[in-house]
Amino acid sequence: MDTCRAPSALAQYRVLLMKDLRQEFRTKEMLVSMGIYALLVIVVFGVALSFARPGADFLEVSGGLLWALVVFTSLLGLNRSFSHETENGCLEGLLLAPLDRGVVFLAKATSNLVFLGIVEIIAVPLYWVFFSSFAAPAATAALIVVPLVLGSVGIAGIGTLLSTITAATRGKDVMLALLFVPIVFPLLYACVSATTAALVGGVLMEEAFATSLALAAGYDVIMLLASWVLYDFVVS
Amino acid sequence: MSAAPGTPAVPAIRCEGLTKAFGTRKAVDDLTFELPQGAFLSVFGPNGAGKTTLLRLLATLARPSAGSVAVNGVDLKEEPDRARASIGLISHNAMLYPDLTAEENLLLYARLYGVPEPERRVVELLDAVGLKHRRLDRVRTFSRGMTQRVSIARALVNDPAVVLLDEPYSGLDPHAIDIFDDLIGRVRDGRTFVMVSHDLEKGFRLADHVLVMARGRAVSFGSKDALDPEEFRALYRSTVGSGVA
Amino acid sequence: MAREGKTPRLPEAGQWPDKVAPAALVAGIVLTTVGFLMAFLTVPPVGGATVGGVELIGDAMVNQKMLLSQKIFYFHMPVAITSFVALIFGAYYSVRFLMTKSQRFDTCARIALELALLFVVMTMVTGEMWTRFEWGVWWSWEPRLTTYLILMLIVIAYFVLRSSIDEPERRATFAAVVAVIAAIDVPICFMITRLIPSSIHPVVLREGGMSPEMGLCVGLVALGMLCVCFALYRARFRQVRLCQRVDALKETLDDER
Repeated sequence: MDTCRAPSALAQYRVLLMKDLRQEFRTKEMLVSMGIYALLVIVVFGVALSFARPGADFLEVSGGLLWALVVFTSLLGLNRSFSHETENGCLEGLLLAPLDRGVVFLAKATSNLVFLGIVEIIAVPLYWVFFSSFAAPAATAALIVVPLVLGSVGIAGIGTLLSTITAATRGKDVMLALLFVPIVFPLLYACVSATTAALVGGVLMEEAFATSLALAAGYDVIMLLASWVLYDFVVS
Repeated sequence: MSAAPGTPAVPAIRCEGLTKAFGTRKAVDDLTFELPQGAFLSVFGPNGAGKTTLLRLLATLARPSAGSVAVNGVDLKEEPDRARASIGLISHNAMLYPDLTAEENLLLYARLYGVPEPERRVVELLDAVGLKHRRLDRVRTFSRGMTQRVSIARALVNDPAVVLLDEPYSGLDPHAIDIFDDLIGRVRDGRTFVMVSHDLEKGFRLADHVLVMARGRAVSFGSKDALDPEEFRALYRSTVGSGVA
Repeated sequence: MAREGKTPRLPEAGQWPDKVAPAALVAGIVLTTVGFLMAFLTVPPVGGATVGGVELIGDAMVNQKMLLSQKIFYFHMPVAITSFVALIFGAYYSVRFLMTKSQRFDTCARIALELALLFVVMTMVTGEMWTRFEWGVWWSWEPRLTTYLILMLIVIAYFVLRSSIDEPERRATFAAVVAVIAAIDVPICFMITRLIPSSIHPVVLREGGMSPEMGLCVGLVALGMLCVCFALYRARFRQVRLCQRVDALKETLDDER
């Protein structure tokens, strides 16, 4: 019988990613809970804004609210994403294999990104449906896709590292929020700025959109690299 | 199928001054021993003696702070990935994803190890543990004993030369324990086994080598034949008795 | 357990810096006091900030008398510098820890961050006063303030994380990783809040340098604060290390029993 030959990192990455996706699409646990949670947050926003006067001013707030929605929903998902791995000691099972730890990180971050993306595809139009009566966004509104993508990449990356850390702590749900919110703050700031610029359009669009996106992209690159390097320490 | 044993001259496991410490607290302290190919080593000791840490070191889940440990002549610190390919671990944690089927779980691990013809290998293994008919069922629906059998198949998926057992009996009913022992007997196949267990009788029956640990150090190590059972029990009782701080 | 040549190394404390520490403490106290006296007695009010008559800043009327509040600056700035130095040391020791896995560096990092927390909180409090009197508002989402708030939250999270993990090595590793991430995050945070023009909150920063007297005064107090911080660090380090030493000795006794 042939001896095992360690497969390429790409093959292992694909195997790990497929495992996460298959598991999630079978149970739909995370997607359903994140989706419902997003809807509930929208309802709370509805109450919070029920006495606000509709008008163009709303556009300046709506980008921020949208990101509040994304952050809360992704926190929920990140907390869930690692419970599968710790439940049966599965993470140890993976670490027993001849497998670079960076691959584990990238696979997990990718699956988190996929789930977050799916939830955003549902939640963002929903948000628009509920609040479009307040004010009509500028023609550039479709460009909010760019900050959403950049933000989600960063959230999935740093969130994967942090949820791996907090999965092994007491009171992990609170712990994740406590670490995640301040650390992701700069990214959030940049994304809110870009989103607002896209929604409001005009002068703000010209002066803030590109800068904000460049900064968000910079954050993504730096934090993903840092997380990737530090992941080895976290899992062993 | 045969485990790939190294040349008989190379010990299956060789520890030299193996130490795992943090600050002054030493979980494993200056452990030195050699285990020949095909041996079955039982590790005994009170809680906190460092048995589990030793197993984690052997499984490359922890890195030694000092000393060296080699499996089939491959140093775990220098070439962890090469060593990992010839190590299997069965623990009280099943390490199986409950929402995947037995077959999917095993296929996942087989592909991570790069096993040739993974589909055939997985069916073979499930057949060997008597669960071929349940291979398309989710692991969540399995009993504890069945899960543990899949877990054995999982540990053997890469045809390891060294199999580590970490408290494999915990949570099993007597019937499941019998099946487990029987299975272990059938998959011996020239492989080397290291078992950590609280169950003195069981650990002693299966073993041909015995290591007693207390506070991270080896109190006694040797082949079982050289050991008088009564003397061993007395030794065990005295270490367990005084070891629990 | 006489194993030749391998006597277990006990945690040590009381190396040479401990001898310097009391002197540093005294020097720190003297320097800080001198600096304060200077701030109130000899340094004139900030050159560019003199208010002709009465002016509306924020929602408060400000006149020359209120500019006395800017003396907070002579406390605020040195404390901020000190907290920053403590943080840099914390991050440095965390990296060292990840490289060596030696408990000593974990202890160093932890204590550096404890002091950082102390000084960050002082910075926040004095900064608050400054904001209130200088700008007339309790809080402004201004880059420096925001960054410091985030910094404070991360340092607090660091200690909450530490307290929620029992296993010492894992605790040390996770804490070090968070400290490194924080060290990367904080400069980015400052940059991003600074570079993105916010339409709602105008950036309230006084550009322009300090007068030589001001610089001297701030320098003196900062030096004093750093000395005090160093003395505190050594005292705390000594205390923690000795505790660890006692634990280690207890264990050795257990072993010999």
